[in-house]
Amino acid sequence: MNGRAPADERACYVYGIVPAGADPSGLEGIGDPPVPVTLVRHRGIAALVSDVVTDRPLGTAADLRGHARVLDTVAAHAAVLPLRFGAVVRDVSAVADDLLAPHEEEFLRALEGLRDTAQFTLRAIYQQDRILRTVLTDREDIARLREEVTALPEEAAYYDRVRLGEMIANEIAAHREADTAIALERLAPLAAAVNASPAADGSGDQAVSASFLVAKTDWDAFEAAAEDLARDWAGYITTRLLGPLAPYDFATDAVAEAAPAEEAP
Amino acid sequence: MTVAPRPSHYLDRPSSSGLVDVIDLILDKGLVIDIYIRVSLVGIELLTIDARIVVASVDTYLRFAEAVNRLDLKEDKSEGLPELMQNMRQGGARSKTKGALEGVKETVGEVIDRVTGNDEEEPEPKERPRTRSRTQRRERE
Repeated sequence: MNGRAPADERACYVYGIVPAGADPSGLEGIGDPPVPVTLVRHRGIAALVSDVVTDRPLGTAADLRGHARVLDTVAAHAAVLPLRFGAVVRDVSAVADDLLAPHEEEFLRALEGLRDTAQFTLRAIYQQDRILRTVLTDREDIARLREEVTALPEEAAYYDRVRLGEMIANEIAAHREADTAIALERLAPLAAAVNASPAADGSGDQAVSASFLVAKTDWDAFEAAAEDLARDWAGYITTRLLGPLAPYDFATDAVAEAAPAEEAP
Repeated sequence: MTVAPRPSHYLDRPSSSGLVDVIDLILDKGLVIDIYIRVSLVGIELLTIDARIVVASVDTYLRFAEAVNRLDLKEDKSEGLPELMQNMRQGGARSKTKGALEGVKETVGEVIDRVTGNDEEEPEPKERPRTRSRTQRRERE
């Protein structure tokens, strides 16, 4: 009657783990309208949480953005261990007793290790025409196959078209490897850790996708180096830099390294 | 260190991450909490699995083939021309081929819509028209 869901249809959405002294004031979480984010503390650590109703599917664009927004806002001024999207726990006591308490030591150590750092993610995309022209210039066999395919009616050339596309994709993959090496050579010296695994998005025109854990004192130098790289690539590769972000790519390793030897996460 | 103002026009620095970037960052990265304390919610498992599948490689290959077939190689010979012309040309070609390679992003969006039930009004999931006609062509072969 008062429009509120019964208590058992609510649960606790967990964004990440922070030092107990972190300040969550002003953070808006997931949900429509967004609800305030609060802390559940356990000694030296705390979880960033907000109320979530369990009778609706989670995963709208707003939910995904909300999750990242909370973590990235915190990451700009405090260490944070981001949880993968979709971590929902029964209630605040379960957060404290079952999530924080059993992992207190490794969370604390991982947070200490991540202090005054943040993640920067570089996403570079080939300008499609330019990379295709480069491929055709470098590879006579591909240029020839293209001529053949173009001469045939579309229906007849289906398998040739697949082969043509595959050859192009492989050639671009070779460029990707070389350009990723260039990016790492120039940016990795300014980072404490690097993760250069390709993005899950898997689009074929991606040149570089790499994440860097950068100490606060190096943020300016890192950005300047990324800017230089983008300038050198201008007209050929479009370069985008995200950050400072929560250390999405580095949290799992940080916790694993901090964990007692016998336990795997 | 010098403090000379640095013009920053080449590097794209979005103030907040776009949806595709967010998906990449938070869906299969970050700490995973033990399953026994997790409340299971509709959609999550589907979302994380589907978003990573995105497109079959044959689809990617065909997009490249289409894009390269659309390239006008005659224009390529004029590479010494003023930059302005080149930009105009690239702009035109890019907008034509955009649909092909951006299909990926569309797919991710559709996955989310489907998982979250946002497309309930539509009887069928949206499909890229090109894919459909290609399938029909294959069947005729």
